[in-house]
Amino acid sequence: MTRLLPDAKWKIALAVTALFLLPALAFAHSIAGNDANFVQAIDGPAVFAFMYLGGKHMVTGYDHLLFLFGVIFFLYRPSDVIKYVTLFAIGHSITLLAGVLGNIQANAYLVDAIIGLSIVYKALENMGAFNSLGKFKPNTKAAVFVFGLFHGFGLATKLQEFALSDNGLVTNIISFNIGVELGQILALAIIFIALTYWRASKSYLQHAFISNSVLMTGGFILTAYQLSAWILLPA
Amino acid sequence: MNDTNNTTLNASPRNIAIATIVALLVSGLVLVTIILPAEFDIDPLGTGELLGLDALAGASDQPLQIQADAFKSDYAEFILEPFQSVEYKYLLDFDSSMVFNWQAESAVYFDFHADPAGLDVDIYGVSFAAGEASEQSGTYHALFTGIHGWFWENRGFQPVTIKLHSSGFYINSTVYQDGGSFERELRSVAD
Repeated sequence: MTRLLPDAKWKIALAVTALFLLPALAFAHSIAGNDANFVQAIDGPAVFAFMYLGGKHMVTGYDHLLFLFGVIFFLYRPSDVIKYVTLFAIGHSITLLAGVLGNIQANAYLVDAIIGLSIVYKALENMGAFNSLGKFKPNTKAAVFVFGLFHGFGLATKLQEFALSDNGLVTNIISFNIGVELGQILALAIIFIALTYWRASKSYLQHAFISNSVLMTGGFILTAYQLSAWILLPA
Repeated sequence: MNDTNNTTLNASPRNIAIATIVALLVSGLVLVTIILPAEFDIDPLGTGELLGLDALAGASDQPLQIQADAFKSDYAEFILEPFQSVEYKYLLDFDSSMVFNWQAESAVYFDFHADPAGLDVDIYGVSFAAGEASEQSGTYHALFTGIHGWFWENRGFQPVTIKLHSSGFYINSTVYQDGGSFERELRSVAD
């Protein structure tokens, strides 16, 4: 850590403070309140309502957003961003559709814990933790795709917590999925613009290590939270 | 650092290990001091109580909530002269509920609001419903400890009698009138 000190001290302090504030956000990221009532009450196709819910889930879903932040941290070209994010989108679409339509149940807390670990993984990869593994180094694109599968499974699990009506189910799930993609594009555009500005300053690479350490901590916190819920709450 | 589309840092294994350990320690600390008290009502270090987070875990959306406070019923009947106003407030603990019905002979102005205990009313007071009505029934669930109830004002030219029925887990009732206040005795309907 010597090369970070001493000017990084206050940044670490700031980062730690930010992390302590993180739980102030609504931590259980699921579909709640009026939206939950709506999802359960709906009987028949509701294209735009489900699209809206999907988009909202993505834009307000800090677990997905943290992961995407990690994914595009070192992607400088928009074409690369599109490539990776498409892989992520294909991954989570497969499991979202298959999970709900195939009625595959999983423990939401465990799936969310894995999503938390996907953030840790991405941060470690950005730091170069896997660079010394030579030919055993995990393929970055494959990793994004596989974690996409888990993120989609998380979405599916949350939708399945409700007694979804079979009437219009396929239409509604596809609408939800389209909404997820639109929300993702919106969120990514904002993250990418912010990153582009940040990259213009010299501080970007200086802070890259700290930023990814904070990202990793966020991933661990989400994992710890979800595992606690898994252990302590009734399923 | 290479310039493929797959750039990463090349931090030393030692630095990565340190960052990982620090990340684990920080997340463990956040878990124990904040998440466990706030989400699961487990407070091993007392930080939840210190930061006021333990109240979060008490809030529940379960259909059935068992109450520790005593069950009470209350009835009040009073006359409001033209342009007279009054407030009837109940002291409710956080997460306590009551059901109510009030009726007035003719339409009066009402404002159902709540003031958190110990905080500046002007800043932290919350109004949940206000308007003209001659009757209202409902259930109320207190989101914070404090006084919760009605302001009524007779804006007509005739005296109006108001009758208030309520049952719930309130602690006491206070009346605010003519710039003063007094605690009134709860009176169950059966009396």
